[in-house]
Amino acid sequence: MEGSKDITNLAAIQTKKKLSEEFFKKGVLIALFSGLTYGLYSAFLTLGMTKGVWSDWYGPNTAALSAFTITYLLGSLGGAVNDTCSAIWAMIFAAKNGKFGDFIRTLNTTPGRIMILAALVGGPIATTAYVIGIQMAGSMVIPITALCPAIGAILARILFKQKLDKRMVLGICICVLASFLIGSTSIGEDAPEDMILGIAIAFIAALGWGFEGCVAGYGTSMIDSEIGIAIRQTTSGLANLLILLPIFGAMAGSVKLSADLAVQAFASGPAMIWFVLSGLCAFVSFMTWYKGNSMCGTALGMACNATYSFWGPFFCWILLGVINGMEGWTIPPIGWIAAILMMFGILLIAMNPLDLFRKKEVK
Amino acid sequence: MKKPLNYAILKYFTKVDEACAEDVIKALKGKYGNYKALNRKDVVSALMTAEANGLLEETRFEMDKSNNLKIYYHAHEEGAAIINKYIKD
Repeated sequence: MEGSKDITNLAAIQTKKKLSEEFFKKGVLIALFSGLTYGLYSAFLTLGMTKGVWSDWYGPNTAALSAFTITYLLGSLGGAVNDTCSAIWAMIFAAKNGKFGDFIRTLNTTPGRIMILAALVGGPIATTAYVIGIQMAGSMVIPITALCPAIGAILARILFKQKLDKRMVLGICICVLASFLIGSTSIGEDAPEDMILGIAIAFIAALGWGFEGCVAGYGTSMIDSEIGIAIRQTTSGLANLLILLPIFGAMAGSVKLSADLAVQAFASGPAMIWFVLSGLCAFVSFMTWYKGNSMCGTALGMACNATYSFWGPFFCWILLGVINGMEGWTIPPIGWIAAILMMFGILLIAMNPLDLFRKKEVK
Repeated sequence: MKKPLNYAILKYFTKVDEACAEDVIKALKGKYGNYKALNRKDVVSALMTAEANGLLEETRFEMDKSNNLKIYYHAHEEGAAIINKYIKD
């Protein structure tokens, strides 16, 4: 009798251990998948913004749009169209899985409002800071935004007392360095006068994305991730369309201009096909980002998600370079080396690599 | 007003000493029986996520008669305080 009880206990311990390991692995895989789909979303969005009416705006410009409009308003419009498509996908999925009622009920609760705040900070605010940073300091700001996983991990340590030891810090530093290397390949020879201010503004973007990953990831421990992402994309889409675009429109001289351009963008069939796809990938990417962060912690979740800094250029190369034959999308060797470096960084955050050898010794 | 399912799951733990996924499903079946997400797999995942974020704490585990693993959790003082702070009755 005692013996069978021991066997049952042993089976329970083994099953429990397996379940915990599978949960952790699933969290890592989900977070890695978020990086991959983020890369796909970036590539589809970039492709969409070369098709239909966008090809004229960024090409011959028969509409005679100003440089300000092309840089700021169109950049923001691209994000607005994508996030709106993404919000529609998120609501379709929520409705399909019987969660639409909970989506509405969650909006006016404290975690729901925190999710809205995270969406505003990580969506329109960080994205605008990023665009303005690029305009002021040139492509030098791209690697600066690679700091967001480190910022997320530090914020998670301070706000939610999540684990952050020396090994994890080293892993994060390696990931940031790898992202920096990938980003540095896009640095041009431009060194504008406003560089320092531009870099400081780009840092706001890194801060915003770090805040979003940390807070929204924690929020997903209370809110279902499908509902969380529906809140995120709806907030971001509406804020871009109803707040950011009119502001940029006013700055360009006419609020009506932003509305006209938005109508034209939504009516442009050849471009919208790609925006529908980019919206789907953005929906999946952000949902898995939040879910991965809540399952394996912000530090590891954000490092896994940061693989997008490789997947973005990779899918742009495949989609725009290889399939569509556009020039200038090839990944330089440093990009491939950085990708391997990043994998090592992620491994270091997730576990002590020496354990791999120790396990072998035991066997 | 009816709470979102995930909120109801967490709130339940502030009212009982300990519970496993099966207990949660049984307790919420009346109000949330028509929810697709009120199934063992999704509830186990929600509980493990809550544990990973320090809202719940594992108390014990055992195998049931059908050889399914049952993990019991409880909301410790700090976890219960966070749940009650963010999710009102």
